[in-house]
Amino acid sequence: MSETNPANLDGHDSDEHGHGGLGKYLAVFVCLCVLTGASFFTYSDLWPYKDTPAVGWIFMMAVSCTKAMLVMLCFMHLWWEANWKYVLTFPAALMSVFLVLMLIPDVGLRTRKYSEQRWQHAAEPEVPASAADRDPEHAEDHHDGTHANQHN
Amino acid sequence: MGHDESGHHDHLKLEYHPALPMSNGKLIVWLFLSTEIMFFAGLIGTYVVLRFGAPTGTWPTPADVHLSEPIGAFNTFVLICSSVTVVLCLEACRARQAKMAKCWLFLTLLLGSVFLGVKLYEYNQKFAHGIYPRKPRSLIHERANLEYAAALRFPLKAKRDKLDKKKAELGGLPTTENGESQESNEKQVEGRLEESEEQDLKKYNQLLSGVVEWAEYVATDPATPEAERRDVLVQLAKYVSGPGHGHGHAETDVSPFAGQLDQERAELEAEQARLEDEQRRLLVARQNNADSEAAQKADIQSDLAIVESRLKRISHRMDGIGLLRELKHGINEDHHMHLPIVLPSGNMWASTYFLLTGFHAIHVVVGLIVFAIGMCMRLGPEKAGFIENTGLYWHFVDLVWIFLFPLLYLF
Repeated sequence: MSETNPANLDGHDSDEHGHGGLGKYLAVFVCLCVLTGASFFTYSDLWPYKDTPAVGWIFMMAVSCTKAMLVMLCFMHLWWEANWKYVLTFPAALMSVFLVLMLIPDVGLRTRKYSEQRWQHAAEPEVPASAADRDPEHAEDHHDGTHANQHN
Repeated sequence: MGHDESGHHDHLKLEYHPALPMSNGKLIVWLFLSTEIMFFAGLIGTYVVLRFGAPTGTWPTPADVHLSEPIGAFNTFVLICSSVTVVLCLEACRARQAKMAKCWLFLTLLLGSVFLGVKLYEYNQKFAHGIYPRKPRSLIHERANLEYAAALRFPLKAKRDKLDKKKAELGGLPTTENGESQESNEKQVEGRLEESEEQDLKKYNQLLSGVVEWAEYVATDPATPEAERRDVLVQLAKYVSGPGHGHGHAETDVSPFAGQLDQERAELEAEQARLEDEQRRLLVARQNNADSEAAQKADIQSDLAIVESRLKRISHRMDGIGLLRELKHGINEDHHMHLPIVLPSGNMWASTYFLLTGFHAIHVVVGLIVFAIGMCMRLGPEKAGFIENTGLYWHFVDLVWIFLFPLLYLF
């Protein structure tokens, strides 16, 4: 807690010491707008990785994390706060990141382990039957009674 | 807060703080926010589970569910602006510019309201397309199957029957499945129903016998190949909700279904010609065999009946194709109908979308209430703590949207 000094301990007035300022806020604002534009860019036709959506997802999440950091550090004044910030934010952030990271691999693999019965009750994949028949990989997934199910 | 009694920093001395070095209010807001982080992490985690766990290729694209990315981006921009204004409000507050502070706060309140207004508009769009989180009002079907076709048939039949009844009451004979008698009826009772109602009636008949019942017929006909049975129902769903997929359909005069329908029409015309030949042959045979055995006559009669019913179906289908050929964005949009739609994983999408954005919107509403309370105060330096805490909360709301926007609109 070496950063704390008496003036800083008054709570309300603690942030009047040379940070913030219109210029900084506007700079951050411009950054945020540019970053929003960057993640919006993945939606445009110019985005080169249309075929591999995962690239876009990772890019957008990276952009979002950057934006979140900018908002927290500048607008929420965490950059200038004393070390207590780690006590309050770190555990929560860790747990939330942990939660999401633990869910993705487990869940991403979920449909690969579906039983036939599970597939029968799953939503219908939008692969035309003819395409599914031609594509052995898909056929494996969807052959199981999807058709039989529909026409009896 | 009994902290830091020494006040000397020029010599090394261990200090002991019985509390965190900030006001109780701010501490509580931060504690609250750290629980909120976990709350939204849980919600987003749930979304991730459902979204990526959905069967491959089934999660609706933004175009499927009428989500507009530019509107989402605009809302992001609005929230970022409001974050700036609230932080400027705090600065003004500390600089003893109460009036200025109030201006910024008012601007924040305004921007928050704009965000909610846009959200409201978006929700309305969803509702208008029958996208609700649950069944009684939701028009979403997961699969294009016979159950879906039946769900299309019931409302169409109800509408048709209603107009028929009205027509009957006005003195005309009700239309039947038979297109010919319908036409002659129209001549008889011309002017009885209003012009628009007459058109609607014709449209419903075309949709029923030429589109929905035709699809059901093809899908259940034992002669139809397996793959085609499924495709005809999938195609039926596309006629209803439009071609979808991909953003920005080119505004052309040609229906997106034209190619396919023209091909179908050509095939049906060929079959029609063949069947008409067959019909003529059978009629001649009936004539010639007028005196022969009863069994043979019955055979010819039943063959003739089959050919005639097939011909009737084909003529209905031709009418249906005529209507479908005009479509630009699907039956629902072009004819202002409210028919069930097929959206694989659509129910799950609606649930997660309304849950995530709904909880976020509730947070926005709470923020706006606090801002409104702030508007009633004199925003001098003594209120800086209040503004700071409110601002922290508001930035968090912005933060959540920063993640929700790409997750919901762009993924």
